[in-house]
Amino acid sequence: MSGAGRLAAIGHVFRAEAFKVLRKRRVYVLAALYWAVLPILVLVTARVLHVNLARSFANEVGNVDQALQLFASPFGLVQVALAAPAYMSPTLYIVAVALVAALLIGDERSQNMWKSVLVVQPDRWAVLLGKVAVAMATLGALMLGGAVSGFLFGALGTTFLPTTFVGAWGEVAGLYLLQWAVLLAPTLFAFLMVFVVRSGVLGVVTVLFLPGLVEGIYTVLTSLAQLQPLNRINAVFQALRLQRAWEALPEYFFTANLYLPGRWPVRDAVNAFLETADEVDMGPLTGMLGGDLTLPHAGLVMLGYAVLFGVLLAWSFLRRDVD
Amino acid sequence: MSAIQAERLTKRYGSVAAVSDVTFEVSAGEVAGFLGPNGAGKTTTLRMLAGLVRPTSGHCRVLGRSVPGPGLREVGTMIEEPTFYPYLTGRANLRHAALLHGDVPARRIDEALAFVRMENAADKKVRAYSQGMRQRLALARAILWKPKVLLLDEPTNGLDPAGIAEVREALATVADEGAAVLVSSHILAEVEKLADRVLAIDKGVLRFDGSLDRLVSRMDEATVTYVVHAADVNTVLAAAQELGLTARAGDGGAALVDVPRAEAGDLLHRLALQGVKVTSATPLTDSLESAYLRLVNPAEKPS
Repeated sequence: MSGAGRLAAIGHVFRAEAFKVLRKRRVYVLAALYWAVLPILVLVTARVLHVNLARSFANEVGNVDQALQLFASPFGLVQVALAAPAYMSPTLYIVAVALVAALLIGDERSQNMWKSVLVVQPDRWAVLLGKVAVAMATLGALMLGGAVSGFLFGALGTTFLPTTFVGAWGEVAGLYLLQWAVLLAPTLFAFLMVFVVRSGVLGVVTVLFLPGLVEGIYTVLTSLAQLQPLNRINAVFQALRLQRAWEALPEYFFTANLYLPGRWPVRDAVNAFLETADEVDMGPLTGMLGGDLTLPHAGLVMLGYAVLFGVLLAWSFLRRDVD
Repeated sequence: MSAIQAERLTKRYGSVAAVSDVTFEVSAGEVAGFLGPNGAGKTTTLRMLAGLVRPTSGHCRVLGRSVPGPGLREVGTMIEEPTFYPYLTGRANLRHAALLHGDVPARRIDEALAFVRMENAADKKVRAYSQGMRQRLALARAILWKPKVLLLDEPTNGLDPAGIAEVREALATVADEGAAVLVSSHILAEVEKLADRVLAIDKGVLRFDGSLDRLVSRMDEATVTYVVHAADVNTVLAAAQELGLTARAGDGGAALVDVPRAEAGDLLHRLALQGVKVTSATPLTDSLESAYLRLVNPAEKPS
């Protein structure tokens, strides 16, 4: 098929799948939670703090006002809309990814629709790329909606909170863009799982819990490896001289890198609140704030995951018979 | 050029051959019935023609183009039970298919719905549809972009007699407009009414490819059996014996005489020469059912 023909076919798939997504109620439920419930909860909390603590000793040096500016101003709420989904369990990002994968890939399986879809549009590359494009567009729309609603609710908050419109808007826009881009990897992973497992529900469950499970196993193994005296596990690592690589592995963990752009503003906020640019030992919070990972590192690692999952997905999708 | 071409199609699942060396062609404007019992290989063959399953060997073409490939955009299908997105209305399901295809004018959705008489139910969610309504909607989807080839798997399943008649009429219309139609069924009476040509498949092997007339008139056999009525059946039996032909008494005072196909034209003359006063002689034809059983199970020879 010619390039123009394939591009047109991708466009057809995009329009058809977008038509489907826009008619799925659960997308709107998720959007409502994200766009309305989250900022309202934050504003209510901020208002309660302001009313109760504004004139207390806690605000003698303006700490409470600073906190309100950090998370309840227009800029703060835009940051909250980026960061909060990365701190839920399971995270709102992965829930959205799983939902989109279930809708775009799982439905074809559970409703036995592949046999219709792939005859109407026989170019499987176009079907795959069109569906990925719709998934990314949906995630992008959810995130953009979160940012816009955060801004609007924050603007509303300025009428009853001591907050302003000040903020590093360019930086947060970049973080949004990066967070959206790195969602490609879990999207491809979710497509792969839902397609390969051949069960929408099981595929979604795998997407939600597999990365955490793998990383949990690593943690258990690490704990065992660190046990003294020498045991079978740490002996194997030492014998294979893998200790250093094993210790460096968390830097390449899926979840840590995936959520880094979303969690970045929290790291900034904590540092700002502590009024130091120096390294502060955050103890158990280190992992939650992204550790020592950098944004370029996270971007590259997630690109690697995206390539890996993309190749596996294309390989299985293009060659498999449709039942 | 044939609209549908299957050339030595074989599909194996491990050591099991679902379809073996199947070759046939269907021309534009022709309705071919794909006949066979459940598990005979009909659906697997249709899936291969629709590009959903890759043949283990052999290949298929649609409108002269290899499958899978862009030629499939000219194909409408209904394979196994009709499926839709249940949370969308019938009309929205067609709209989705139209968008996916990319070359369907908006008015075609209404035309297709009218064609299958589904205008009144088009705005209900598909989850509320009966089996018959789904079947009609599936046919509407299959003809949405005026395909030049229709591959239909048991299209009348779940339809009431009126619905079956409507589908029959619809397929005839589509074929009249120049489409090649391959319609599978395990119901002989249905194929008899739908198709002018039969492809009979059993255990993955194509057993017969030809017209219905040829199938029921035993034209593939070396001998023709004539049902001969005469004033006295015994004179027929005796004359046949004299002529070296096999004959036996049939129902209603008739004699059944087996004649080599090459000599069939002379039978009446030869009987007359033997002094038999023949009142009627007609070649014995099977019902479609018995003809089909004879094909798929040659050991049984129903009369």
